[in-house]
Amino acid sequence: MLDLIISTVTQGFIYALLSYGIYITYKILDFPDLTVDGSFPLGAAVTAVLLVKGVNPYLTLPLAMAVGALAGLVTGVIHVCFGVRDLLAGIITMTALFSINLQIAGSNLAVGRDVDTIFTAEPVATVFGNFTLLQRKLIVAFLLVVIFKILLDLYFKTKNGLLLRAVGDNDVLVTSLAKDKGKVKILGLVIANALVALCGCVVCHEQRSFSATMGTGQMVFGLATVIIGTTIFKKEGFVKGTTAVVVGSVIYKVCIQIAISLGLPANLLKLVTAVLFLVILVVGNRQKGGHKEACLR
Amino acid sequence: MRKTMKRALCAVVAMAMVFGMGACGEKKMPVIGISQYGEHGSLDNCREGFLQGLADAGLVEGTDFTVDYQNAGFDDNICTQIGQNFSAKNVDLMCGIATNAATACFAAAEDKDIPVIFTAITDPVKAKLDSGNITGTSDKLPVEAQLDLIRKMQPEADTIGIIYTTSEPNSVSAIEEYQAKAGNYGFTVEAVGVTAQSEVTQAADMLISKGVDCFSNLTDNNVVGVLSSVLEKTNEAEIPVYGSEVEQVTLGCVAAAGIDYFELGRQTGAMAAKVLKGEAKASEIPYETIAEYGIYINSAAIAEMGMTVPADIAEKAIESQE
Repeated sequence: MLDLIISTVTQGFIYALLSYGIYITYKILDFPDLTVDGSFPLGAAVTAVLLVKGVNPYLTLPLAMAVGALAGLVTGVIHVCFGVRDLLAGIITMTALFSINLQIAGSNLAVGRDVDTIFTAEPVATVFGNFTLLQRKLIVAFLLVVIFKILLDLYFKTKNGLLLRAVGDNDVLVTSLAKDKGKVKILGLVIANALVALCGCVVCHEQRSFSATMGTGQMVFGLATVIIGTTIFKKEGFVKGTTAVVVGSVIYKVCIQIAISLGLPANLLKLVTAVLFLVILVVGNRQKGGHKEACLR
Repeated sequence: MRKTMKRALCAVVAMAMVFGMGACGEKKMPVIGISQYGEHGSLDNCREGFLQGLADAGLVEGTDFTVDYQNAGFDDNICTQIGQNFSAKNVDLMCGIATNAATACFAAAEDKDIPVIFTAITDPVKAKLDSGNITGTSDKLPVEAQLDLIRKMQPEADTIGIIYTTSEPNSVSAIEEYQAKAGNYGFTVEAVGVTAQSEVTQAADMLISKGVDCFSNLTDNNVVGVLSSVLEKTNEAEIPVYGSEVEQVTLGCVAAAGIDYFELGRQTGAMAAKVLKGEAKASEIPYETIAEYGIYINSAAIAEMGMTVPADIAEKAIESQE
């Protein structure tokens, strides 16, 4: 029981890194970024190859982020410099990445148990030696989530971060400040996809495998977590967006785990998950009270 | 804020209740957690065979063990959570059907000593599922037997068309084997890779236009998923299609030298029974490849193609019409 809660919350934390990325593109930049379905497995593919080659597991984190950033850069350049629509730019990169990921990793790639991951290597193994692997995974995932939350929150307060937020809200303002909104958009995509690839990297450490299909549906998952998180905390002004999406991600994973634990027929799993989301969203909107009236009118 | 706290508390309590329900009643009877990658004829047969294998060993569901069956609907993330669910409930044995499900189970069991039994995996060594408290059965295709069968059925044929998914490791390794061995039987292989199920029928059109003498199928999930529409096209072009297992022949392929997934599952179930009874540890049992391949034919489909079955094949073949 406790184990189940720990492993489910761990999943929520790990995937919160992806939610951060979607939060930046979807919520801040208002950019539906489908690159995610490709950059997520990209991070995992690079990580799997590096781990098998015997690279220090902690080094895979920045390296995965770097390749993810590159993927974001490609989408950004396609969109901003070549004027391709946002959705299409993401689709192009995602499609290309499918092949690139397979080129990088061969086909599906497994990392054997003899290879150390970020959860089992030094110094984590010594510092958190008294904990079980399950608990260690939770601790490491939590640390990563907190570190990147703090970094992002600090970044949003910088001049550059404020510009990023302004592009999504009111890009005319950015232009009037004599700033290039295209560059800001590209930067946002770079940061977002670096985070998404980081998430893929951690998932690869945790699952000890890369599979070509692991990216499917990650964009939808990320959107759901962002929407769930921000809906719940709509009224709580002091709760930061980054915190909200972490909660959203955990709730999502809990919903799935509840559906699994209930032993529902396999084919109904997704339907139940959809219903649970709907309930959360409706309850969230009730609180605001706006939508019901709009419907009645 | 207080409201939010209340709601959060409610959610936690609800979660605790749900998980608690799942947790009660365990430890009385061994629990087998079966994680199946998706709903799919062959994989379903595997699962049924697995349960049959346990029954053959004298273990009765309901008195000797209970089954917690979960299906991930081909979603890797759900696979992960199913594995963790089993691990947290401390099931006595996990059964992973297809590579992704088995990998997730094995990862979830890393810090516990829960035995994992896999089935329907082509290459357990490559998937790193060959060491640790894990064993199972491989569904590697009998490629040579298939080539031999095609040669006997169509002595004049030159080229074999194969459609495969480039991201399925099972398919990629099977294609490599086909290409390496086709020459020995006087064939050339025309392989077309696809990335999604929607591209399969296009690939079939392409192979037909290239004038291949026959099609041969792998256990490729994308291709098998739309086999009926592929068969519609090949029947029109009068090109015979060879399957890779009994289900495909029943659907309308002319013949197959292949695996009976029910038998594969049964073999797996026998291994699980040993582990469950404590006769052997999963770590001590090497993984097995199915020893016997069946030859399956569909007489109606063969007649439609105007082909005849050579006597030596007809003897051992199993008729597999609907």
